[in-house]
Amino acid sequence: MQRNRPPSAQAISVLQALAADPAQWRYGYNLAAEVHLKSGSLYPILVRLADRGLLDTSWEPGQGSRPPRHLYRLSPAGRAFVAELTAASADRTTRSPHNRWSEA
Amino acid sequence: MLGGLFFVPMLCLLGILIALYRRDPQRFLDGPAQDAPLRLTRWATGLLTPERAEWGQAMLGEIGHIEGRFRRMRFAAGCVGAALVMPPWGRAVAGVWAMIVLAAGAIALEGAMAVSYRLGGGEWIVTAILAVLVAGVFLGASALVRRPGVALPGLAGGLIIAVTWLILHGFTFGDQLLPNTVPWHRLVQVIVVPFAVGAAGTAWSRDPVAGRRIARLAGITGSLGLYVYTTVAVAVIGGGGPFDQDGGGTLRGTISDRLGNSTVLLAFTILVFPTIGWAGAAVAGRLLRRGLASAGTGPVTPNLESQQEA
Repeated sequence: MQRNRPPSAQAISVLQALAADPAQWRYGYNLAAEVHLKSGSLYPILVRLADRGLLDTSWEPGQGSRPPRHLYRLSPAGRAFVAELTAASADRTTRSPHNRWSEA
Repeated sequence: MLGGLFFVPMLCLLGILIALYRRDPQRFLDGPAQDAPLRLTRWATGLLTPERAEWGQAMLGEIGHIEGRFRRMRFAAGCVGAALVMPPWGRAVAGVWAMIVLAAGAIALEGAMAVSYRLGGGEWIVTAILAVLVAGVFLGASALVRRPGVALPGLAGGLIIAVTWLILHGFTFGDQLLPNTVPWHRLVQVIVVPFAVGAAGTAWSRDPVAGRRIARLAGITGSLGLYVYTTVAVAVIGGGGPFDQDGGGTLRGTISDRLGNSTVLLAFTILVFPTIGWAGAAVAGRLLRRGLASAGTGPVTPNLESQQEA
């Protein structure tokens, strides 16, 4: 049975990085460097996001001796999910103006 | 005779190192196509279940575009971590949980006895070292148990090794506290059975690489099982049971000595069982290749997945 637990802080940072330009396909290594995650943390997150349908994946054909490369971007469901997260975060900030943890 | 029993594992270990060195001349070359990070990533992706195979290809594809030895190695190390924890584990999860329960139970028992008998700081240091050793053993076994076609024969082989040991040594807890001094018993326990299990693993899988994995898993689980059994024996019997002339004059000394013996047994068997089993699997693999070559069916060609040694 698939459990839909709330995303971790690391997963949220991956989602936000992908949401910065939702139409653009991203490489795993570049994404890991951008959100300061090691590959050991990034790939399980990407797998979970893809399992939940929040991620589209594709393959870039290999060039010369280089192997094909996996690409990632937010799916429409992923974009909606990020929008919900952002709205919920903004709502929390509005309701408790003294709580600035989310901005830390 | 007994000296020979220690000499044979050393020879087997030397043989393994020579075989590993000869197996692939590119192994120690750090070229762009076959460097250590790529091999490590290939090994890691082999741990993934078939439904996660695409993610393994994603890792391999990514490392093919990363420049720089340090970056590549860091990426590969992360992939190993990801592959070790990434679910689902399929049917192997039952075997892994069984090993977790066994290993954690034995360490907890050892710690409980250290508290109960007030064995002092030395015993805690031994317990801490043991915990690290058992954790390493568990990680190695969990990687092996996830390989296709390895879990069942490997765990069964471990059971055969442990049960044969107990048949010759004695099943009672009291038997565990005394050394077995019959030379041929040791020969069978330490050399013959692990060797036969390794050879049988290769013959059963008809794949030398899978056979060596089966041998290693059998050796590791057999060793862990015996360690748990002897630790439980010490916990049950405590300071009583048969007299051991090395046991010390006090209750604490006796318990500490008995726990030390079970730790030494683990350290010895965890090295020897997989080494001898590996040798048995390698010999059987060679015979298998020759048999197939002489029958005209060509050499044994293990599938791509099993080409990465665990």
